[in-house]
Amino acid sequence: MKQPISPRAGVCLLAAVLLLFPLVFTEAFYRDIGVAFLLAAISASAWNIVGGYAGQVSVGHSMFFGLGAYAPLLCYTLWGWPLVAGIPVGIALSVGLALIIGLPTFRLSGHYFSMATIAVAELIRIFFGTWALVGGAIGLQGPAVARGWWDLTFRGDLPYYYIFLAVLGLLLFVTFEVGRRRFGFYLRAIKASERAARSLGVPVRLTKLKALALSATFTSAAGSLYAVKTGFIDPDSGFGILVSVQMVIVAALGGAGTLFGPLVGALILIPLQTAANTWFGGSGSGLTFILYGGIIVLIARFEPGGLHELWRRLAPIVWRRAHAA
Amino acid sequence: MLLDARNVTKAFGSFWAVAGADLSVAEGEIVGLIGPNGAGKSTFFNCLAGDTQPTSGRILFDGADVTRATPEAHARAGIGRTFQVPMTFEDMSVLDNVMVGAFLRHPHRSDARDHARRIVELTGLRPDQPGRSLGTPGRKRLGIARVLATEPRLLLLDEALAGLTPTELHEAIALVQRIHETGVTIVIVEHIMEVIMTLTRRVLVFNQGQVIASGRPEQVVKDEAVIEAYLGRGARSHA
Repeated sequence: MKQPISPRAGVCLLAAVLLLFPLVFTEAFYRDIGVAFLLAAISASAWNIVGGYAGQVSVGHSMFFGLGAYAPLLCYTLWGWPLVAGIPVGIALSVGLALIIGLPTFRLSGHYFSMATIAVAELIRIFFGTWALVGGAIGLQGPAVARGWWDLTFRGDLPYYYIFLAVLGLLLFVTFEVGRRRFGFYLRAIKASERAARSLGVPVRLTKLKALALSATFTSAAGSLYAVKTGFIDPDSGFGILVSVQMVIVAALGGAGTLFGPLVGALILIPLQTAANTWFGGSGSGLTFILYGGIIVLIARFEPGGLHELWRRLAPIVWRRAHAA
Repeated sequence: MLLDARNVTKAFGSFWAVAGADLSVAEGEIVGLIGPNGAGKSTFFNCLAGDTQPTSGRILFDGADVTRATPEAHARAGIGRTFQVPMTFEDMSVLDNVMVGAFLRHPHRSDARDHARRIVELTGLRPDQPGRSLGTPGRKRLGIARVLATEPRLLLLDEALAGLTPTELHEAIALVQRIHETGVTIVIVEHIMEVIMTLTRRVLVFNQGQVIASGRPEQVVKDEAVIEAYLGRGARSHA
């Protein structure tokens, strides 16, 4: 079957659009949306490795996001470290947590796994809210003025935009490579049928653990980027359930288990969310819940495979009609 | 002996699904496992494949104890199995399905793909067909292709040929014979007597968790105990 455009050309086009976007839309409002879009795309793509490709639907990924967010600010508060140096600390903690959490929870499957991940993330959120060292319910702050580039504290949105874009590019490249290799085949096999996968010699537990560790690495990085840009973190914005749910919804909306699904999801959800918050005023967080709920209902009812699935069904028809004449 | 299962039992609560079954298979054999529904064939079969751990007994494969080994360890050791209901990886193409098996001995993608391609050819499937679009015969074939790709020395076929039309059945029998000719030892659970009669030289008859008869297929079907197990007491006098 012929495709409207080749995949390679599509990727180049996408890269060009993302690179040029903040140069064309120079207003702070649009750049802000651009940065929020990239952050959502990074988080959801990171979730996608374990939640989409391996089919292990974690609804507690905020545990990694939060650790990643707290680590640079905590290292700064305690020892005055550069914020950049805190990012690998967050990643190390997140991978450690992934292995500890993965061992018992991967014995569970389906909804039970999802619920266990929610429980762990909530426990950590509550724990951080009462722990004085990490600022309790108030949270932590970064340096008010950058001491150097290594604090990643910039005045405008532009540097953040390109840093986030670079991380997203790296993450998509890693995901693409994973998908082509044995690891990726094993993940898809596990998603389809664990029993069949095991019968073919797939080390299911180990493969899932590796996927969770890789996913946690990038989720943690996303959290760090968020904290560095905001300059502030508290238990809710780090470990809150909305953080986890957003990753799931963004990925599911675009198409979980596909390379560009999370990107498409973020492209739709983030502007929608920003627009809703702007138009209907500051009491936005309640509205976000309603928006998420509505999207879950729509996906579950009409297109469980997300927009990717819809595109796969409709594209050939549209293409044929357009060329029928 | 390639496979040596001794005094294998499996209890679910107080019910003995398998109550002291023995099975020895020499390298290069095709052995049939038959018996009425609920006789414990599948449970015994699952014990051999590592899907279920036996309550007691010992299973040796090529001299090594695999009684408590995981299914993936069985696959690595060289014991492959198919499922009664084929568990196709729906979102993957036929070739990708088979590649999952091929990766066990060929970690590199291009080697795995070449190996999988050869096996797909052997089984007569179309490599680029999506798994979800396959019908029952295709799925059964794919199940066999996938496990073949792991290069098993012992292949356990669990009703791999049930639910096929007569033509498909003959093709499938020919496929199993081709696999056997490549040197793979086969244990086959099957209801269809034609399959057992054509393929095997030795059958074991299961009833109520025990082996009640064994021998050449022509002899076994005449065995009193076997007829009784299938048709009930007194069947012979009415016949």
